[in-house]
Amino acid sequence: MKVVLRLLAGPAGALLLAFVLAAVAMLIAGVNPVDGFSALIRGSLGGRRPIAETLVQTTALLFPALGISLAFRAGLFNIGAEGQLLMGGLFAGAVGAHLAGPSWLTVAALLLLGMLGGGIWGGIAGWLRARFNASEIISTLMLNFIALSLAGYLVAGPLKSPLASGAETAPLLPNNWLPAFPTIGSLSFGDTRLTISILIAIATAIVLRFVFTRTVFGYELRAAGEAPEAARRSGINMPRMTLIALSLSGAVAGLGGAAIVTGVLHRFNTSLSPGYGYTAIAVALVGDLNPLWVCVAALGFGILEAGGLMMQADAGVPKDAIRVIEGLIILVLAARRYFATRASSAPI
Amino acid sequence: MSTGVSLMLTLAFLTLIKSVPIVYAALGGVISERAGVVNIGLEGMMTAGAFSAVVFTNLTGSPIVGLIAGIFFGAFLGFILGFAATFFKVDQIVAGVGINLVALGGAAYGLVLIFNQPGASPQVNQLAPEQLLPQITVGETALIVLGLLCAFGLNWFIYRTPWGLRVQACGENPRAVTDAGLDPLRLRLYSVIASGALAGLGGAFLSICEVNLYSDGMTAGRGFIALAAVIFGRWTPWGATGAAVFFGFFEALQYVLQGRISWLPSDAMQALPYLAALFAIAGLVGRVRAPAADGVPY
Repeated sequence: MKVVLRLLAGPAGALLLAFVLAAVAMLIAGVNPVDGFSALIRGSLGGRRPIAETLVQTTALLFPALGISLAFRAGLFNIGAEGQLLMGGLFAGAVGAHLAGPSWLTVAALLLLGMLGGGIWGGIAGWLRARFNASEIISTLMLNFIALSLAGYLVAGPLKSPLASGAETAPLLPNNWLPAFPTIGSLSFGDTRLTISILIAIATAIVLRFVFTRTVFGYELRAAGEAPEAARRSGINMPRMTLIALSLSGAVAGLGGAAIVTGVLHRFNTSLSPGYGYTAIAVALVGDLNPLWVCVAALGFGILEAGGLMMQADAGVPKDAIRVIEGLIILVLAARRYFATRASSAPI
Repeated sequence: MSTGVSLMLTLAFLTLIKSVPIVYAALGGVISERAGVVNIGLEGMMTAGAFSAVVFTNLTGSPIVGLIAGIFFGAFLGFILGFAATFFKVDQIVAGVGINLVALGGAAYGLVLIFNQPGASPQVNQLAPEQLLPQITVGETALIVLGLLCAFGLNWFIYRTPWGLRVQACGENPRAVTDAGLDPLRLRLYSVIASGALAGLGGAFLSICEVNLYSDGMTAGRGFIALAAVIFGRWTPWGATGAAVFFGFFEALQYVLQGRISWLPSDAMQALPYLAALFAIAGLVGRVRAPAADGVPY
């Protein structure tokens, strides 16, 4: 009984709540929840293509959610995954339109560039916090808007493809496309948008899990988040940890942006993300900031994202209902304490 | 009149108009943080105010009713955040992020449900749209004056009234408030509700006074800029008001410069207010002190 209650107070309860709220949202829209949910499930799990699309959405959420988990674990509120994702995509898209060479090498280079772009964007917030004690909450949010106008300017001007009608970069050279997901038995994903980026995302989660639990750096990072005063007194260089944690957090989100550009869009434009960076906050919290559980949570939200479209088209429930549900999940999970408030935290 | 002078005048009026929503939200931030609750949800409360103002103006035909609805729904979200932050002791930052998603998603959902059109609402009656001067309407003037009154009133409340001093104590040392026989949680709750009402009013200004419709994402981060204004203004009502006008100036500047400076494209100039906010909070190194118990659940 106690175990059940404890589960309900945490992520399991949040998912149950999501279920109930989704039903309510359908009822408000005048839709029978049975029809609504069946459309949601058909659109996300009903066959090879829907499943592939669910996994595409899962991947898009997983990278920023992992980045956010890393920062939150260090006691830093990185709310700027959206901007970091965008910068990662921008770096990969800008170079990918021109980079020729052996595919495995150029794709790897573009993914690294994405990490660099996101890392710089997260690093700016980290530097401002470490050097000036400027709240990372405000700086990461401001950087989201700055990233959007910077990217908007670049794709409308210097980086604009002369062939495209809209504002976007030139298409990536085919050697820069992420390979499609491998065929499993008779199951082929060649005609879907699913690529090996989901495997990269899961590998990233495993690496992060290892870093958190098995390395000195991971220990120090968690110490900085859970007991900042003790961490500082035991000799951990807190400003340095702040800079590194936010840079790495941004790098993981930026990798996600590069994965979308090289795997899904094959070019860069500013509609790269419909708000993955914000949804990912819910994903990270539902996953309890634990990389492996974050993978599970990302799958859950991937189902919502992919199924939401079908729910809107077939059952007439506006897809934006999902945002409301995500927000309420975050509100409920806010009751859990994730890390200690830093004694010398930045003014906000 | 020479073009230079008229350009300066345009910039001055536009600065006033662009400052208004940030001033209201920043005053909301001040009252909330003075009581010890960090209100990251200001953005969402502005969104709720902007959207509900349009819905109720559309429903009744009266922008005044819309304005009141905007204040009410902002206050309602304030109530949710305040209740969670006091009696459930949630992490205020995380909860605020949740409020923002709920409001943004709720408005987008509402656009489809109520108006049956995604993206933007139909046009509604604007609040007193008669021109007072070439660049400014009667409604805008009224809300500018009201904003100044709010700043004056909040300043008086916080520093000159017993309840204001008690609210301050909630943000500095809630334990002392308990020892004085008062309930700091309740005071915090009221403060966050007031904060939401102010932010809702700022949002309503955006949708039914400056223009006459709601469109998705129209608050465009002003709630977050208001948070920067609270810090820049050192948690004082007049300081935050000044900082909000400072950021409003950069937003106005962006409009005035658009199309006038060929080498600086408009996309890049949209970053101006956000860059200003970023520099402002970074430039205050070690010189500001937040209320001691700000953001700490009690």
